[in-house]
Formats: sequence, structure tokens, C-alpha cells
Amino acid sequence: MADLVIDNVIKEFPTRNEPLVVLKNVSAELSAGENLAILGPSGCGKSTLLHIVGTLDSPTSGQVILNGQNPFTLPEPALAKFRNQNIGFIFQDHHLLPQLSVLENVLIPAVATGKPAAAVIERARDLIERVGLANRIDHRPAELSGGERQRVGVARALLHKPQLLLADEPTGNLDRTNAASVGRLLLELQEREGTMMLVVTHSIELANLFQRRLELDVGELKERKID
Amino acid sequence: MSSWQFVLRGLAHHWRINLAVALGVAATTAVLVGALLVGDSVRGSLRSLTLDRLGKIDALLIAEHYFREQIVADLVTQEPFTSRFQQAEPALIFPRGTVEFPGSTKVRRASQVLVVGCRDTFWNFDVRQIRPLKMPRVDEVVLNQALASDLGVQIGEQVVIRLPQVNEIPAESPLGEKEDRIRGITELKVVSIIPTKGLGRFSLTPSQSAPRTAFLSLETLQELLDVEGKVNAILVSGNPQQPLPSQTVCDELSTWLDLTFADYGFNIRRVTQTFPRENPASEEIIFDYFSFTSDKMVIEDQAARIADKAFKQLRGIPTFTYLANALVKLDEDGNEIGAAIPYSTVASIDIANKSDLSQERAASLNVSFSENGIGLNRWTADQLQAQVGDSIRLYYFEPETTHGRPQERQAEFVVETIIPFTEPSKPFTANSDPVFTDRPTWANDTHFTPEVKGITDQDSISNWQTPFQLTREVRDVDETYYDNHRLTPKAFLDLATAQQLWGSRFGKVTSYRIPVQETLEPGQAKAFVSSLENAFVQYLHQEKVRLGLEFRPVKAQSLQASSGTTPFDGLFLALSFFIIAAALMLVSLLFQLGIEQRADEIGILLATGFRRQQIGRLLTAEGSLVTLIGGLLGIGIGIAYAWLMLAGLTSEDWWLGALVAPFLEFHITLQSVFIGYLLGALCCIASIRYGVRRTRHVATRRLLAGQMTDSLADSLVAQQQRSIKIPLGLFMTALLLAALGTRWGGELQAATFVSSGAILLTAILLLVHRQFRLGSTQQNTRRWNLSQLSRSNAARNPGRSTLIIGLIATASFLIVGMSCFRLSPSVAGTGGFDLIAESSEPVFADMNTVEGREDLLLDTEESLEFAEIFSLRVQPGDDASCNNLYKASRPQILGVTAALVKYFDDPEQQGFSWASSAAETADEKTNPWRLLNKPIANDTNVVPVVIDKNTAMYSLGMYFGIGEQKEFTYHDGRKVRFQVVGLLANSVLQGNLLIGDKYFKERFAHSEGYQFFLIKSKSADSINAPLKVTANQDSAISAGRMESGLALDNDSTQSSHLQAISDALENALSDQGFDVEPARKRLENLLAVQNTYLSTFQSLGALGLLLGTFGLATVQLRSILERRAELALLRSSGFRRSRLAQLVMLENLLLLFGGLTTGVFAALFSVLPHMHFGDASVPFRDLIFTLSIVLAVGICTSLLAIRATLRAPVVAALRGD
Repeated sequence: MADLVIDNVIKEFPTRNEPLVVLKNVSAELSAGENLAILGPSGCGKSTLLHIVGTLDSPTSGQVILNGQNPFTLPEPALAKFRNQNIGFIFQDHHLLPQLSVLENVLIPAVATGKPAAAVIERARDLIERVGLANRIDHRPAELSGGERQRVGVARALLHKPQLLLADEPTGNLDRTNAASVGRLLLELQEREGTMMLVVTHSIELANLFQRRLELDVGELKERKID
Repeated sequence: MSSWQFVLRGLAHHWRINLAVALGVAATTAVLVGALLVGDSVRGSLRSLTLDRLGKIDALLIAEHYFREQIVADLVTQEPFTSRFQQAEPALIFPRGTVEFPGSTKVRRASQVLVVGCRDTFWNFDVRQIRPLKMPRVDEVVLNQALASDLGVQIGEQVVIRLPQVNEIPAESPLGEKEDRIRGITELKVVSIIPTKGLGRFSLTPSQSAPRTAFLSLETLQELLDVEGKVNAILVSGNPQQPLPSQTVCDELSTWLDLTFADYGFNIRRVTQTFPRENPASEEIIFDYFSFTSDKMVIEDQAARIADKAFKQLRGIPTFTYLANALVKLDEDGNEIGAAIPYSTVASIDIANKSDLSQERAASLNVSFSENGIGLNRWTADQLQAQVGDSIRLYYFEPETTHGRPQERQAEFVVETIIPFTEPSKPFTANSDPVFTDRPTWANDTHFTPEVKGITDQDSISNWQTPFQLTREVRDVDETYYDNHRLTPKAFLDLATAQQLWGSRFGKVTSYRIPVQETLEPGQAKAFVSSLENAFVQYLHQEKVRLGLEFRPVKAQSLQASSGTTPFDGLFLALSFFIIAAALMLVSLLFQLGIEQRADEIGILLATGFRRQQIGRLLTAEGSLVTLIGGLLGIGIGIAYAWLMLAGLTSEDWWLGALVAPFLEFHITLQSVFIGYLLGALCCIASIRYGVRRTRHVATRRLLAGQMTDSLADSLVAQQQRSIKIPLGLFMTALLLAALGTRWGGELQAATFVSSGAILLTAILLLVHRQFRLGSTQQNTRRWNLSQLSRSNAARNPGRSTLIIGLIATASFLIVGMSCFRLSPSVAGTGGFDLIAESSEPVFADMNTVEGREDLLLDTEESLEFAEIFSLRVQPGDDASCNNLYKASRPQILGVTAALVKYFDDPEQQGFSWASSAAETADEKTNPWRLLNKPIANDTNVVPVVIDKNTAMYSLGMYFGIGEQKEFTYHDGRKVRFQVVGLLANSVLQGNLLIGDKYFKERFAHSEGYQFFLIKSKSADSINAPLKVTANQDSAISAGRMESGLALDNDSTQSSHLQAISDALENALSDQGFDVEPARKRLENLLAVQNTYLSTFQSLGALGLLLGTFGLATVQLRSILERRAELALLRSSGFRRSRLAQLVMLENLLLLFGGLTTGVFAALFSVLPHMHFGDASVPFRDLIFTLSIVLAVGICTSLLAIRATLRAPVVAALRGD
């Protein structure tokens, strides 16, 4: 059985009239070490799917199984812990906390479970070095470029060695050079950490770097060949 | 990085918004700390004032009669005294003296002056180093600054002091002196004027008003009053190492006084009549007893009760002797026949008891009287040619005069015995008793009649100095009887009958006769008298009866009273409720703005595995730190705020009306600061928690998108959940509370007003919020225009907009609500009376009668022909009006005469306005004053009382209105229980308990005459009518143009008429310290206090407005910032700057008008029942003015937002920079 199973997920949003169906029986599977890019135009439901897989949102029906466990059956505190231990997020808008330094931003997932242990701090430093920001470790986000901020976001997502790395348009705000660099970094780190990675993007260039590609079209997921 | 580091980083990074939140917290804490400190300052100032005016004086004894000064010297040498107390000073103290300064042009007079005759050592009591530069000696006086300023007198000038002459015989008994009761002390040179602080403001009554006090040397005053070696007061300071003397300690101190009968005003003497026996040669004892009498002629009931007990074992019996104006015989038809015997005394003795005579002699008399029986001595029987069985008519004066005039009555009796009586061979002379050659009888005892100066010491009836005219013919035989027997009784009655006829509140016994024991050896008489005195004093102590000679713990009582009538901190806190609510709304609003700015931060924390609860804790911790820091700032602001309030309350130009004297000093206690800080912090943290909780319901994806508002889907769900039932339920609750508020009073009434207003505001705000939410989800494109766009913008963030409306609404509520309770003087408040007068000394005559005016030499005053003057009795006590901040423990009592009650029977008289009454019958409803004479069912010991509603509730803490009972302790520890039968609304009689004359005389036998007067000009109706309605006059008064208060109308004739009445009375009754004041002016002064409190609370409303404006500005600027791209887009799509300005202005006006309308509606709704049932009214003119200012301030705030809008660069904004 695959490590990640997305099984017939449907997501509807109520409106004044008919409910808006964003995802229609979306199913997919992913095993450890695999990566997958989901392509699609704006508003097709890519981010919604990513949020559901990342347990930030819940499906109207269907289920998501990660390592044999359906996280939506967990109460909120356990769900938060599940997310903290198993899932890493990378966002288009990197969402770094402006008041914290690079190192502190990377350590945020560790603060969720208490004071970070020395080993965790060491890992954070290691990740920062691996994303090429060793010399900016004490800098604040405002002092970094867009590409650098996204690298911090990548390091943060990998802090707890998550089973699943989710990236929502990770290069959407970056120029072409930076986008390629961040894309390669993502794949390199994913391979090294042995984690699953699911990326939603409308960038075909980025998608082409991934082992598998699917396209979300009017709420339905379809295979997409390399262009 | 720990959680705390995380929190601290957030705190520092978001310092701008946190600073704004801290300022909101500071405002909340400041209001709380400020309110508590105002309470501290009032209490602390009152306490300081008490300690100031009493110095080291802890206990005080002040008697209604003089006693030996030597008592004090004896007291201080006693062992128990020296260990418990420090100093005792004898003094002569007169609380209601009058001081006149002749001046060069006009006599200036000050009444109700405390005159103190003291030794130099009195000033050792002072703790402020205040003492006269020169001590007063013979014909010298020291004045305090308050008195000197009132009189305009300087050092070296001379003043006149008028003091009451202490007359032993009650003035309102027929033989009591009514006119010559004032002793004028002239040509007293002012040698020093001391500041009105320290002992310079020495006063017996707790009041924050500066007392007017004059000090003379004790020796001088004793000499001037002819009371050498006597005093009427003792001042005692406790040992500073010991606790403040309590009532128990003072009771003990009272027992250490070495008081004799004379000190109590009693006498005891041996009365003996013997007759030589021929065989064997010896003396036959006709009568031999000890006579116990009082200087007051009659022995007061309390003393009589003690005497009964003390002398019972010794077979002492009471006697009662009274003056008969005439004795005349009647024929069978009841016609008077023969000459009447004038001015005789009639004695009554408990003959049935017979114990005053020896058993043997009493048995030989074998006389007793039935209820209508009378015994005549032989002389009288002979003069009237009366036999046993004949009828006798007896003319006498009622035991109490009416307005100083004795009322003659008559009673008929049947002669039951003729008592043997012997004529002397030699009459009385100035130095000797009569000489009998025939054996006298027991009836030949002139000592039945107590000694009365000016009568019993005169050698002829024609020389009697009586307060009434001797109109009956005094024949030669009557003078002969007087020569031979003086006032030996001519007739005898049964004791019970005599007491029924002539007994009064002053007493029912004139003497006690204690027979000399036959075993009493010669020379033991003095020791026996001592044993009688001891027995009497022992019973006094046993029964805890002090007869006015008791110490009271004056300092402890005053300090207790300094806790104040009005709980200022509670009052300020209650009425600061809205301002606190406004400040909390602001805190919540600002904090939420901060959270909204950080929505994505919350989102990422959630995404990285933080629990919502955990994030809530982090945000709360950060908010709490902000709160604690802001609270510290708030303490500082609160202290400044309290100081400012006090400055206002003590400023002559601001709120002086509330406190009468600028005595308030700033006091601060750490307890209040801590409580204010803690309360403020808790409220703000709760408000922050509420803001944090809101994030729980926002989806993570929306948070990550930087949004704090619910999505459309969430809104739809919330819309379904938000029922209109809650606002409706709250609305009904507010309605109920507002209605209940009209039935309750005092703080309860204020609480219901505040509660109903708060609940209604909440209900309206919930509706507004609901409407905003609906509006944000329901767009109407058919009416799409600029105003619709602005409405849509306002509804974009329903919570934020609702809070802004709430902020402005609370401020408006406070301003409008307080305006409606402002009062202006009305005719109903003065009862239709034009003038009110008080006198230092009682006036006895009825000034409404020709005779009364003749007595007072007012009969030539034409102005009084058109005046009706109603006199009321006064039992002096604490001022319980809102002018006195001290708690009244024994409020002043006014005795309402039957004449005044009857006056109000006339429905055409204006009368006072009643808040409520216990009236049941139609007559009582027409005139509730009748209730004063209606006994309380099932409890005759309770006195019906009418009180001003505000006095009852705010000063006396009587919140439950009609039927409520309360007990007060008056002089000599006597407790009087009152039951409220009527409550006056905003009357000039504020501060007094009004009881019926009958009850007054029963309960306060020592208070004589009338000292409070209500005066009505018979032609003054034309003045009053326009007063009630003319607003111009109110403004004229408030502008201070009518300083005298007499120039109430353009009709100068009426004004001068009132002035003439005032002048006539003040001049004619200057000896009595008669002081006349326009009723309206007094009422205005009283209402000014209430209005001042309202002003302070309105100023809180203004502070709320400031917060509201601050909130509005913050929200608008924030909104502009958030929407800068949107506004730039509008400009890029062709919107002119003016059009954008219009848009932003419309948004602001919507919130501003929403707030104003909500606040005004809630205030009017809460006030409505009080307008209908009470005294509230809407001052539309003032209201429109105030609200216009609110609007103007709001618009100014909007202009700031507009300025920000127009200055935003289009391109940068479009790029989202």
C-alpha cells in the first residue's frame, strides 16, 4: 500500500445558490521517496487539494491516508501534532515571521512542541547551510531576497524530517533563475531526506523536474505527460 | 528559542500596534485607578479634616446645663484617668451663638457660630501648631478666619456675641422665660484671627464646610454669664499609646466623674416643722422629710424614674404642685359664685401611699381623693365658703404654651375634704419662716411648691415676675395669705389626676419627699443626704442614664462618619462603567487589528503543527504583557486623572457646587492603585482573550491568505446561527430594568439606569452587527451608488465597525443620559415658599398672629402683613443633605406643626412634590403631610417621618422607600426609631427628618421653641408661576446674575417685598440670630451638588468620546491602509479625489451617526421611565449642542482619514508596495 493515499476526495463550498464543487472524486497515491507535481490553471482547486492533504482543511467526503492513518479522525491537538511530525509546508508567500531570525524561523515547528533540543537546533543549522544561507543565519526575513526567503521556508518545512513535503506554488513569486534553483533544491533535499513530495504549481518548467505529474482540471485529476 | 522568547519577539516587532493596545489598556486602568483614588481622596480628606478640627480631642461631654468646673480637676487626678487619658479641659461651649460686627455702615451678623470659652491649655490639643498669637483675656475674643471674613472684621475691632441664657425652667412651660433668653456680650475686642485649620476649625459637628468659631477665655465667659466656677463641657484627649477611646471607654469615663446632685441640677434639703409640746416640754414633729427637687422646677421623666427606684426603699413618694390661676365655687347649676381666689398652688401627693408622712400621722389624716375630688385647706374653704360636696372650678394654664402663649383651661372638682390649716402668729419675712402659736398641720408646708426665681422669692404677689400677665384681681386677703403662707398649697388633688392635667414632656413630678427615719440621730442628716445622693447616682449608673452628662467618643464617631455618605469610588466606578466598557472595546478593537495584521503568522503556526489553543496562549501572553505594561502607564494617567477630577471639584470655576468647600486633598493608597491596576489588567486580558478566541473559528487557509474574516460560507452558517432572539431578549430585559428603576431609588436606581442602558446598548450593537453581516453578504446592485459602496465598505468588517459604533454610542449614552437627570429649581421643590429662615436661638411667638408679632416687636412691620410664616421645631443634628459629605449618624429633625399640615390641606397651595407616600385615604392623598400625625399601626414607639428622597437614599442609606424603618441615637443615648411615610422629591427640605409636632415634643423634650421657618409672601404667586417655566431665568441664575436670589422676576415690587420681609425679620430677631434666605437659592445650591456630580460623569462621557474618536481614527487609517490598492484602483478608473473623499467621509459618517443614534436611543429609552415617573427631562437645546460637538469631532477625525486617502500615491498603491 502506498504511503499517501488520496481516496475519492470531494470538496464543496456552500454559496448563495448551488454548492461550489472544487474537487470531484480526486484520488492519487504516493510512496516514500516519490515526488508528484500537480498542475492546473488558477482557481482549479490545486491549493484546496494541497490544504486537504496537509490537513489544513477537511474534505467534504473521501479520505486521506498518510502512513496508514486517516488524520481527520484525530482531535485538534492530535491533528496538530500529526501535522507537526509528518507534514512540511512550503508556501508561495513563504510566510516567514518577520520578528524572527532565519534560524528562529526554521525552528518554529520545534517551538510547537516545547523548547527546541540542541539536536534540533543543530539540524536547523544544517538545513540552513544546505539551502545556502549559512551566512544569513541571524538575518531577519526583511533582510533577505525573495529566493532566500523561500529557501528558509524549505528548511523550515524539513526540520522534523516530515513524511510528506507539500509545496504550494513554491516558485510562484520567484524569477526564472531563482525558481529553477529553488526547484532543484527542493528535489535534492527531498531525495536526501527520503520524503514524499507533492507540489502544486502552474509552472510546467518546475513540474517537468518531478517524477510524476498530474493535472487538475475542473476538479478532476488526470495524468499529464511531459511537455 | 522558548515560547517566552517567541512572545517577546512578537511584542517588540509589533510595537506600534502593541503601543496602541497599551494606550487603550492605560485608558481602562486610568479610569479605574482614577475612580478609586477619587474615593480615597474624599475619604482621606474627610478623615484629615476630622483629625485637623479635633486635634487631640478624643472625647467630649457637653451638657445642657452648667456643672462644677472642679469636676475636671478631680477627674484628671484619678488613677484610671491618668493611665488611660492625657488631658481634660473644662469649657463653656455654645454651638449656636451669634456674632455681630457693628461696622461703619451696616451691622454684619453671623449666626450659628460656635462660641468656646476655654483656658489657654485648650490649645495643647492642637496638632497643627495653630494657636492665637495673643490669647484672649478680659473683654477679648479670638475669631477664626472663616468668621472674621464673614463679618469683615479686623484685629483691634470690636464685636458683640449673643449667647443663650441657660434658664432652668423650660421655656415652653407657663412659668418659663421666653423673651429674656439671650445674653449679649458687648465690646469684645478681637485680639487675634487664627487660620481656619487645626483647632482654628474646631467644631462639634462633622462637616466639610469651614465652621465659624469664636474663642474667649473661660474666666471671662464665666464672669460674663454669671456662672463662675461652672462649665458645660469637658474635652478629653486619650493616651496616644492606647487605641482611640470607644463608646464603651467613654461610658466608663463618664462614671469617673465625681458628680453631685447639684451638677445634675438637683437639690436635696431637709424640711422640718415642729411645734412645742406643753407637757412634757418637748417638740412635736409636724413633718420632717428630705425634699428632692430640680432646678428646672419639674423633674424630668428619666430622673423621676431613677428617683422612684432609688428612694423606694426609703418610702420616698412623688409630689406634683402646679399653679392654679383661680379657684372658684360653683352653684348647683354650675355658675360661679363668690369671689375667686387667684394664683394659688395646688399640690398633689400620693396620699394613698402616705409614705412621706410617718405612719402614725398619715393614718390620722385618713384622706384620699377620687379622680374628681379635691381637698381644700381650711383658709380656702372659708374664703370660698365651700363645704364637702361643693363643686369647685379650677382655672389653670396648659402645661405647655402654644407659640409662647399660655392657654388657660378649666376643670371642675368636688370638695371631698377640708384639711386643717393653721394661721401663723407672725408672717414670713425675708429672713425667717412664720411663727405659729397654734399647732400647724402638715398642710402648712410651703415646700410643696418648688422654688421659682422671681416668684417664690418675692414678698408680694404683685411683685411676681411671671412671663404672663397677672390679669386676675389679687385681693388684700390673697396678699395676706401670701404674707403668711407664701405659696403653700391651697388645695390638694389626687396625684394621677394632677399628672394627667399638668404632666408634660418636661416632667410629671416636682419633688420627692423622703421621710426622715425616726432612728436618724441628730448630726447624721448630712451623711443621710450623701447616702441619698449615692443611691440616686448608683441607680443612674446602673440604668445607664446620664442625664446629659456623658462623654461621647467624638473622634471615633467623626472618623466613622468620614467614611462618607456617598461611596464616591463606587459611584465613579458605576458611572465609569461605560467609559471602561468603551476603553475595553478600544482595547479589543486595537488588539484585533493587531491580530488581523498577523493572520498569516497564525496560519503558518497552524501549518507547522501549533495547536490553536497553543497559539491562543502565545497571543494572550503577548497581549497580557502589553496589558501589564499599559496598566503601569494607566496608573500614572489614573493618578493624573484623579488629581484633575479633584482640581475640578475644588475649583470655584468648575465643580465647586458639589462639595461646598474646596477642602479636598489628593490622597493615594497603594491598595486602590493595586486594585485598579489588577481590575484593569483582568478586564483587558479578558477582552484580549475574546479577540484571540475569534481566531479559533477562522479557517487556516484564510489565515494563510492573511484574512481574519470568515469566508462567505462561514458567514452563511453564522447568519443562520445568529438569531434575533438574543437581542430581543436583551431588549425586554432592559425594558424591565428601566421600569423597575422607577420604583427603586438611590444607588439602585442609578444601577438600574446604567444596567438597562448597558443591556440595551448591547442589544442594539448585536443587531447592528447582525445587520452588517447580512449587508456584507447581500448586495443590492439595483441601488448601487456611492452611499451603497460606503455602506458595503463599512460592513466589510462587521466586528470592527460595530465596535466603533459601540465606542461612540457609549460616549453619547453617558452624555445624553446625564443631561436628562440635570435638575433646575422648581416651585414644587420649595413647596411654594419664598423664603427659608433659621435662627440660632428659638423663637416662641407665632409670627402669623398679631399677638405673636407684638411679642417680637414686629407688629409695626407692614411687610409682614402679607407674609405667612410657618415655624418648625428643630432638634439639632448632622446635616444629612448632599452638602455634607460626612455620614450623618444623627440627622437634624424638624417638627412639623399642625398649622403647617393644615396649610397643605388647601388644594390651592402649591405644596411640595412627593416622590411617594403611604397615603391611603383621599385626605391623605390630597395632603400626605397628614401621615406625620398618624400612628404607625401595631407599633406606637415608631415615629412616622417624611424625608427628601435623595437624603433618604444617598445620605442615610434608606433605599427601600415607604415603610422602611431606621433607628438613630440622639443625645443621652436615646434611640428613636423612624418609619418612612413620605418621600419628597428634590425639595429644599433636604437633609432633615420631618416628624409631627406631637412626636417631636414626646421624643425631644429638651428642644424648645422654633428655629426653622418657611415663609410665603401672600402675593408671591405671580413670581412663582413664571419661575417654573421660564428657561431664561434658569440661565440667568446659572450665569450668576441673581446673586441675592431675590431678584427672581422682573417684578421689582415683589422682589423688594420679599427683601422687606427678610430685612424686617432679620433686624427684629437679630438677638436670636435670625437668618433668612430665598428658598429658591437654597434649593438651587442643593441641586447644584447633584448637577455637579452629573457634570463629572458627563466629563467621563467626553473622555469616552475621546476614546471613540481615537478608535475611529485608528480604524479608518487602518482601513485606508488595507484598501490603499483598492482606492488607488478607483482613482485609476476615473474617480476624482473629491469623489474618493466623499466615499471615505460617508463611511465615517455612517459609523458616527450609527454610534450617536444608538447611544441617544439607548439613553432616552433608559431615561423614559424616569421622565414619566420621576424628575428626568430632556434638555433638547443642550443635547443638540453637545451632540453637534460629538459630530464635529467625528468629522474632524474623518478628515484625517480622507487626507491619508488622498495622499496615497496611485502607482505604488496599485503595485501593492
